[in-house]
Amino acid sequence: MAFAQPWILAALIGLPVIWWLLRLTPPAPRRFKFPAIRLLTGLSAPEETPATTPWWLLLMRLAIVALIILGLSQPLWNPNERLAGSGPLVLVMDNGWGAARYWPNQMAEAEQLINQAEREGRNVLVLPTAPAAEESEAPSLTPLPANEARRVLSALTPQPWPADRAGLAERLAELTLDGRAGVVWLSDGLAAAQGQAADTALAETLGGLGDVTVYTYPSAALPHLLLPPVTLGGAMTLQVERPVGAGSSEVVVQAYDEDGSLIAQVPLSFDDGETTGDVPLDLPAELRNRIAVLAIAGENTAGARFLIDERWRRRPVGLVTTEGAEAAQPLLSEDYYLTRALEPFTELRKGSIAQLLERDLAILVVPDAANPLTPEDRLLIEDWVRDGGLLLRFAGPDLAAQLEEDSLLPAKLRRGDRVMGGVLTWDSPARLAPFETTSPFANLAQPDDLVVKRQVLAEPSLELANNTWATLSDGTPLVTAAQDGAGWLVLFHVNANSEWSDLPLSGLFVEMLQRVLGVSQGVAGRGGEVLQPIEVMDGLGRLGAPAPFVQPLPTVTGAQAAPAEESDPPAGTRGISPQHPPGYYGTKEERIAHNMGDSQAGLAPLADLPNQVQMTSYNETSELDLKPWLLLAAFVLLLLDLVISLFMRGLFVAGSWRQQGTTAVLVLATAITVHLALPPSTWAQSANSDYNDRRALEATLVPRLAYVVTDDPHVDDISRAGLSGLTLILQRRTSVEPGPPLPVDLEVDELAFFPLLYWPITGEQPPLSSKAKEKLNDYMNSGGTILFDMRDPAAGSQILGQSSLGSQNLQRLVDGLEIPDLTPIPPEHVINKSFYLLQDYPGRYTGGTLWVESGENSRNDAVTSVVIGANDWASAWAVNALGQPVNVLVPGGHLQREMAYRFGVNLVMHALTGNYKADQVHIPFILERLGQ
Amino acid sequence: MAGESALSLRQRAEKLSARLPPLLVAAQRVASTVAQGVHGRRRVGQGETFWQFRPYDMGDQPQSIDWRQTAKRDRVFVREMEWEAAQSTWIWRDTSPSMSWRSNRDHPDKRSRADLLTLALADLLIRGGEHVALLGTGDRPASSRAVLSRLAHEIEAAGHSETSLPPTLPLPRHGQVVFMGDFLDPLEEIEQVLQSYAGNALRGHVLQILDPAEEDLPYRGRVQFEGLEGEAPWLLARVESVRSDYTHRVLHQRAGLQAMTRRMGWGYSYHRCDHPAQTALLALFTALSHSTAW
Repeated sequence: MAFAQPWILAALIGLPVIWWLLRLTPPAPRRFKFPAIRLLTGLSAPEETPATTPWWLLLMRLAIVALIILGLSQPLWNPNERLAGSGPLVLVMDNGWGAARYWPNQMAEAEQLINQAEREGRNVLVLPTAPAAEESEAPSLTPLPANEARRVLSALTPQPWPADRAGLAERLAELTLDGRAGVVWLSDGLAAAQGQAADTALAETLGGLGDVTVYTYPSAALPHLLLPPVTLGGAMTLQVERPVGAGSSEVVVQAYDEDGSLIAQVPLSFDDGETTGDVPLDLPAELRNRIAVLAIAGENTAGARFLIDERWRRRPVGLVTTEGAEAAQPLLSEDYYLTRALEPFTELRKGSIAQLLERDLAILVVPDAANPLTPEDRLLIEDWVRDGGLLLRFAGPDLAAQLEEDSLLPAKLRRGDRVMGGVLTWDSPARLAPFETTSPFANLAQPDDLVVKRQVLAEPSLELANNTWATLSDGTPLVTAAQDGAGWLVLFHVNANSEWSDLPLSGLFVEMLQRVLGVSQGVAGRGGEVLQPIEVMDGLGRLGAPAPFVQPLPTVTGAQAAPAEESDPPAGTRGISPQHPPGYYGTKEERIAHNMGDSQAGLAPLADLPNQVQMTSYNETSELDLKPWLLLAAFVLLLLDLVISLFMRGLFVAGSWRQQGTTAVLVLATAITVHLALPPSTWAQSANSDYNDRRALEATLVPRLAYVVTDDPHVDDISRAGLSGLTLILQRRTSVEPGPPLPVDLEVDELAFFPLLYWPITGEQPPLSSKAKEKLNDYMNSGGTILFDMRDPAAGSQILGQSSLGSQNLQRLVDGLEIPDLTPIPPEHVINKSFYLLQDYPGRYTGGTLWVESGENSRNDAVTSVVIGANDWASAWAVNALGQPVNVLVPGGHLQREMAYRFGVNLVMHALTGNYKADQVHIPFILERLGQ
Repeated sequence: MAGESALSLRQRAEKLSARLPPLLVAAQRVASTVAQGVHGRRRVGQGETFWQFRPYDMGDQPQSIDWRQTAKRDRVFVREMEWEAAQSTWIWRDTSPSMSWRSNRDHPDKRSRADLLTLALADLLIRGGEHVALLGTGDRPASSRAVLSRLAHEIEAAGHSETSLPPTLPLPRHGQVVFMGDFLDPLEEIEQVLQSYAGNALRGHVLQILDPAEEDLPYRGRVQFEGLEGEAPWLLARVESVRSDYTHRVLHQRAGLQAMTRRMGWGYSYHRCDHPAQTALLALFTALSHSTAW
């Protein structure tokens, strides 16, 4: 606790005077005009009236004054120590990429230091360590007043390139300041990329200006660096570096696609003593190819983001096709098999060899049908392979018949092919031997039933074993491969369709092709031109348009820019610098990611500074200025005093309009304050979806019958009771065990949950909205059944026209619905036999015609989407809570009710099972024909 | 404007008085000569009309014998005529500033209530054929309908008076006065004024009009009271503590006033501004009928 303006505290001496004054002055009386004052004159209160202010009010008023005085003296909680020295404050700000992680902390600390310098009346010199993008933007070396310095500070942002401490030290070498400065170095906690010497040099230069204090972060808070992921075969291994190796820790690496949606996230842990950690990212090739950015969760530095380009992406694969040869049986062609296998995870191009090699390719696939190769193609392929391409060939009749020597094969082949398991051979078809661990196919699971019937054989040679990636169980090679220059030659000793082997039919084939693809080196970075910047990162790792000072990136000559396991990032020209910030370079079609992780590896904490430097860490608790809080408290007390004064003068007595007005204003003010203090409530938003979720669960956890809510509560009660009765019968007699029936409001509720909807037609129900009609149409088209009940014995026989009130209402309500063609129910209809055998369909009334969907419409399993009748079934089914029938039937009798129930059961069965029962009725005849 | 509001005041007053039957104020002289038969159903005639025959008594003037009636019967009858003199009533209401005050917007101030009652009473009296005038205006009492509108204009146009007691004016004997006001002055001063009228053989009625706040003193806390007529202010630290003393004083004032009027044979009634004006008018009516009936 300290005071920034301690001299104001002297005013506290005045408190006793104020106390004395307050004691002397009684509260002012209210004034009233009063005609009958003659009668009042001479009267006085019997008891002693308090002539002075009560002691507690006095105390409160003194407290108000004291709070104001204390507040004006600006007390500070957790005050910082006074700045060292007497000259200006030199504020060195690390704003390289590493500072971005806790940049707000660093800024807050810097602000406080400037505030402190302002209080002490000292100028401030703000020195960022990251090099400015352009020379003209380099900071001046003149100390500025605090206000100006604050403006300079607020313009600072973390940069997406490393700090240049050596450069700053050089610039500071000739700086002289008035008096001994207080030097504060707000570091990012990382050692300089140029090496330890740069840090020491800067610390010593600063030490020449004044006493140096260095702020650093604890090791856990230091930034991490994403190193280039390693792709080996199909797997991608993520690598992260941390500056301090001690202890074990964990970070989460996330992979995002081009649109910024999360594809995967994996935790990555560092072992004790290790500064790098890695974790494999297991993703299907399709997903892996979508990854655009890797990022460390919770860090927003440019080093915690790694851009992925074509080198880590799906590879373009060229498939050589031949004209016409395969057209006869396209589904059996090699072309078809290879297309199906490669397309999901590669960019597959087809064409002749010359066409394909005009563009960059990772793999050139030559099926057997393309043999023999012309000499021109051969030359083209040879050049391409030596530059790093991978040629994948498949054997076959054509290759086996080839006479001349073929240089584009990994092994020398015998002429002709070997047939196993044929009619004229003794041996059975061969199986695959397990893959060697050195093979790219290692660890792939093999199906048991895979056989190879024919193959081409390689001439035995010394290299053959080394060049073999897969063998058959008898030891003959199935896949051979050889390196040629920078590229590969790979040969499958079978052809790519099922003619010679089952291999192309199995999933193993796809996996093997994926592994082969992993061996290839991709296409990126082969160009010889300068790479123009497309998008570059800012200091917080966000991509944006490149600033004008960003220079094109020179390409790497000769060496491949592949994410190869052993590739070292070439230093110097391609490093991260203000001219080359991380980002995408190149052209839209072929862009190269330029990443911090490519060149900045080797993080270390800032340490081993000269002895006179004082090390400290960023403050957890920052300096707190109590002035506004004290003044606020004084203001609140003042308001309270006002209220108390009003109360004491009797202004809070209800009765007069003026007093009520005062009260209203005070209440309003309080209400506004409370309203501002509380966040707006959000409960209303969630209530609706909550209801929908609950209803959906209720409707779906057990099957339920449902009835349409009309506007007539009596009809709704009958519907509910009726369906309850039917539910009871279904539970007793059938394997359908529905829950209690649910009401359905057509305008609001979801219909899709219910197989059968009972809809009593009433005159009261208003016509449906277009939305509800659309919903009903969807319901009927997707297999729902609606039972329309006109509940009117006069209706039914004629549902069109104006024959009865019920049919008029029906027409009014279903206007706009896609009611299919209707027909009186034929005797062979499934409803008549889906559970019981029925001949009529009584409800409360008998007779009437039952209308169903007509025709041989086989959609929705021939379940009729509409059943229209007039027999008031719900009344017949209705039971009370004890399970006893509620309504009397017309003409009546137990049999009629039983038949009504049977109709209900049949209808539910029909809605649930479709035409299943229609097939079942044929069983006796089928059995008869089978002679059993 | 003044005419319009005077009209509205008159209309209101007429409306108020229309609810009561016309008031028959019999003069005291008539009461002494015609002791019985005075009732409110008949209008007083203009003096020439026949009233009744009565058997001759000793002392009757021979000129009053009606010979025609006497000739019809075997006794001597005297013819008596209707009394022909109407009574004059002077009404006065307090117009001092203390009347123009009210404690609450819910009810009118004392002055406007007094104005209304004055005019309503005048209307009633004129319907009953009485002669009415405002005390202090110098007008002669008259009974035509035109008087009513003149009265209304006079009442509307009147300003504030300095004193809160009626002026002592010489009035004809056997007249009648009605005084309305808050009568908060010392009782001795009031008695002096009233006595000057009562001593002149005038009958009178006093209506005391008070604001409810003046009766109840509904204030609390520390209050400085200020008079409306230049009285010295009075500071009370806790008004509620003197409330009972104050109401006691108000009751004492009212009781004193009542006793005083009774001694003089006058009527007294009391009215609060938050009560309906009809109540007060009915009380006046009753009081006047009673006093004239005897």
